[in-house]
Amino acid sequence: MPREQSQPSVYDQVVKITHIYLGPAADRFIARQVENHLHKSPNDLSQADLAELIDWIRAVVALLTDDEEIVSDYITELQQLASRIAKSNEPN
Amino acid sequence: MNPTDIGVPDNLLPMPRRTRHEQQAEVEAIFTSIGDGAITTDEFGRITRVNPAAQELLGYSEAELLGEWFPKKIVAVTSDNQPINLMDRPITKAFLTGRPVAEKTYYRRKNGEVIALAINVSSILLNGKPLGAIEVFRDITFEQEVDRMKSEFISLASHQLRTPLSAIKTYTHMLIDGFMGELNPDQKKSLRTVIRATDRMNELISILLNVTRLESGNIDSTPKVVQMDKIAAEIIHELELMANGKSINLSMRVKGKDSTSLKTDSLVVKEILTNLVSNAVKYTPESGNVQIVVKPRKASILVEVIDSGWGIPKAAQEQIFSKFFRAQNIVKRETTGTGLGLYLVKGLIDALGGKIWFYSQEGKGTTFSFSLPRSLHPKVRQGKISK
Repeated sequence: MPREQSQPSVYDQVVKITHIYLGPAADRFIARQVENHLHKSPNDLSQADLAELIDWIRAVVALLTDDEEIVSDYITELQQLASRIAKSNEPN
Repeated sequence: MNPTDIGVPDNLLPMPRRTRHEQQAEVEAIFTSIGDGAITTDEFGRITRVNPAAQELLGYSEAELLGEWFPKKIVAVTSDNQPINLMDRPITKAFLTGRPVAEKTYYRRKNGEVIALAINVSSILLNGKPLGAIEVFRDITFEQEVDRMKSEFISLASHQLRTPLSAIKTYTHMLIDGFMGELNPDQKKSLRTVIRATDRMNELISILLNVTRLESGNIDSTPKVVQMDKIAAEIIHELELMANGKSINLSMRVKGKDSTSLKTDSLVVKEILTNLVSNAVKYTPESGNVQIVVKPRKASILVEVIDSGWGIPKAAQEQIFSKFFRAQNIVKRETTGTGLGLYLVKGLIDALGGKIWFYSQEGKGTTFSFSLPRSLHPKVRQGKISK
């Protein structure tokens, strides 16, 4: 019987996307955003927190680059992730 | 009937409702009339409002700023006009931390001049959602100049005070040693008091000099590889006499097998450790214990100075690194402190790229811990270091 693979955490999935845009700073950046704005440990990040987290990420990233396209791509990817997770959490 | 007719004071009457248009006009008027520079941005970092004071300070017109990307248009620089990392700008820090940030920084004006500013920046939130930021700033060039002049004066005055002190000390020693004829025990006792007082004054002058040097960026830095355990052993040796005077057991140990080497300025590290250990001895009752523990870590060296002293009261703990601050329980026991030692220690550790913190329980003792990076921190360049 094939072994069931454990799903990556919400935090890991956010970091994975962020890594494309911020490189090695991604992990620390997202951890700080979660701790400072959501006042919780990165491991406790849940789908319900994503909308608020994305707002804060957009605000900071918009101060790091004036390339609105990059900001927009990054935020869109995060929003898509949020809806994917929300859908997968819906009862069948 | 009008409420004022029956004696209700005017200020207790409900405010007349304002239209949205009036409220907007009021906000606009407040923003425009702020004496300090004020700029707001939207959630994309684009400038949405600029008041006249900001235009005057930065040299740009409103039309040149509105809609521009704030970090690009208004360049934050170091005092020597080098652009600072976007992550280190106060506005970015405010968004990263979610808290208002108050800092001194430098902006480059339109004509290229560098202007020193005190900045307060907060994110603008609506129902918890960040909509932008407001940054308020004022020119502190004059304050900085006054500060510099004050530091120069203290430095000069301290130097001038030291010279006569060394003459007083030398001749007092000669008197005690009988160079000018034998003295009776009372005379010798009095002269020893003179020596203690001159030592105390020397110590005071040294600390004042160090504080002013640190604040004005005038502490010489000669980075080299040093062994923290050797420095700790030297400090123990130097302060042994002081500890013995109070029957205090002064010791040190290294916890861990890794090397304790780091690249830094050894004189500054000695100054830090001397201050912490002499404080620990000073504020520990007779027959107590003071121990230095060196803990090598992968990228840093951690040092703890543990004492069994009177401790720092909870209420005083927040201010312990403030200039001239002395806790009440200490003032009663030790009248001679300046309240500058820990301020200096923190400034020096910051300047070396390290961190300091403490844990204290009143009546039980205090542990001051500091860590210094093993590799040379960019702040510790050959030449000068400053806060």
